[in-house]
Amino acid sequence: MTRRTLVAGAAAGIAAAAGGSAGAQSDSAPREKGPPVWLDMDQKALDDAYDQSVYAPNRQQILDRCKRNSELTRERLGASRRFAYGPTAIEALDVFAAKAKNAPVNVFIHGGAWRSGMAKDYAYFAETFLMSGATLAVVDFNNVIEAGGDLTVLADQVRRAAIWIWKNADSFGGDPERIYVTGHSSGAHLAAVLLTTDFLSDFDLPPNIIKGGVCASGIYDLKPVRLSKRSSYINFTDAIEERLSPQRHIDKLLAPLHVVYGTLETPEFQRQGRDFAAAVKATSKEVSLTALEGYNHFEVMEQLANPLSPLARAVLHQMKLAAG
Amino acid sequence: MNIQSASAPVPRAKGPIVWLDMDQKALDDAYDQEVYAPNRDQIVARRHANSDRVRAIIGPPQRVAYGPSEIEKLDIYRTKPASAPIQIFIHGGAWRRNKAADYAVQAEVFIRAGAHYVIPDFINVDEAEGSLFPMIEQVRRAIGWVYRNAASFGGDPDRIYLSGHSSGAQIGGCMATTDWARENLPAGVIKGALLASGMYDLKPVRLSKRSAYVKFTDAMEQELSAQRHIGRINAPLILAHGTRETPEFQRQTRDFAAALKAAGKSVELLVGDGYNHFELLETMANPYGLLGRAALAQMKLAIS
Repeated sequence: MTRRTLVAGAAAGIAAAAGGSAGAQSDSAPREKGPPVWLDMDQKALDDAYDQSVYAPNRQQILDRCKRNSELTRERLGASRRFAYGPTAIEALDVFAAKAKNAPVNVFIHGGAWRSGMAKDYAYFAETFLMSGATLAVVDFNNVIEAGGDLTVLADQVRRAAIWIWKNADSFGGDPERIYVTGHSSGAHLAAVLLTTDFLSDFDLPPNIIKGGVCASGIYDLKPVRLSKRSSYINFTDAIEERLSPQRHIDKLLAPLHVVYGTLETPEFQRQGRDFAAAVKATSKEVSLTALEGYNHFEVMEQLANPLSPLARAVLHQMKLAAG
Repeated sequence: MNIQSASAPVPRAKGPIVWLDMDQKALDDAYDQEVYAPNRDQIVARRHANSDRVRAIIGPPQRVAYGPSEIEKLDIYRTKPASAPIQIFIHGGAWRRNKAADYAVQAEVFIRAGAHYVIPDFINVDEAEGSLFPMIEQVRRAIGWVYRNAASFGGDPDRIYLSGHSSGAQIGGCMATTDWARENLPAGVIKGALLASGMYDLKPVRLSKRSAYVKFTDAMEQELSAQRHIGRINAPLILAHGTRETPEFQRQTRDFAAALKAAGKSVELLVGDGYNHFELLETMANPYGLLGRAALAQMKLAIS
């Protein structure tokens, strides 16, 4: 971590406290604090910290805008090509292929609290990659409701998507030796799962098929999520919590990691990013951390569409590309 | 339209009509950005932080005086190529706030594309005792300085473009309708302008609560309403507004665009779907954003 990002992180802590009180609009009436369930949080505070709409009142506006901007991007670039990576209808990915052959590939895993989001609504940042000479592959996968509450299904699909890309990059002009992953929110969790997957033991593949990853606004330890109201739609088990908490499998991380969060995110989404980066740093692996000052959870994701933003810069820099 | 209003919509009796179908409260709200953009302070703070960040990347601007008073200085963010086109940005702030330094965030888009980016500071309406004329005169002087001194910073005086946001777009409209011969400058000194979220007829503004700090006169209303001087326009204009701006800020842009079109002038209307007044300007700091893309295209610069 550079000194600058550490300073930004410290400043973010202060902003977090301010953002929390300002953002939690539903919480204006004084309320008696219940017993702590996680860190210093009672059940209500923890539930709020895993509910983006409490801290990002413009959630729907930004989601609609990204959907609209995805349509506009397709009008400029033409439609993406869709490839199946597995047997079910949802197991497919949208590819915006760079003009040059053997281009590096960025695999994007969308968020949506594991229960919403479609690849087609994440085309809005395709130019960030195409104009820089990279190919973008946006993955569709089941949501956790369709998966009967089981996050393992989503994790397996994302892994199979990455493996399919590694084996088939040629089919869209991609370079299998330059595959990177980016994820946002619950998609950053799944991206971190990918980055801590043991491809050698589990799939008999080269261990480092992913060359780098950027995780934005994500979750890396599932325990507090399990304690929150998200348990009402995710069927957590001890095994799922353990296997799918990337922060507990840092020994398997081989690729450089960049962690990003916004200073107006929920306290937990800021802490998860900071703690994951600190845990990776403690093992002397390559990691950097960026706090985006003045951005909430959804505004962070929108920054990928601006090649000059710290988020897009981090992604392109990791791929050894200059902004287009 | 889904209006994101900070104040709860308590039913209230409609007063007498003041402008179009609006009573005084509705008109006042339509000229108060905060009513329609509850995240104003957040976006402004973010612009300041991002301007600091961008200056740390590209370095500080060259700052020069364009006129005799202390405020009459402009920031020049220089590009590398010689004899490069110039983008002059006129900032907004309801004519009463903001300074050039806090708009550095957009500089990188232009200097990377091969254009200089120039932001003048100018007096605000409160310092000018409620008159809009001093800032108009200062911005004209700034443009004159840029034209006459372009060579001093590697700029091409024959490729000067203008952009403005909010009250800065109102000033920009006045620049596009200025009789430059009276300033001893060529009529075509401005080669094109991108005006975002602006006001082009001051009558409804005069009727609104903004009259509390702008001392409108008939002469001011008439001379500084760009829409009433369309015949003087000889540069192509791009006009933009967001779909989440106030009804009046949307209408002002639509009406100005329609009037230009009816007069056979070159005009393009851009509508930012899902953007409020402050969010729209953020797209100018992105070469692929609505405003950034349009500004570069108008200057005939490649976005890559």
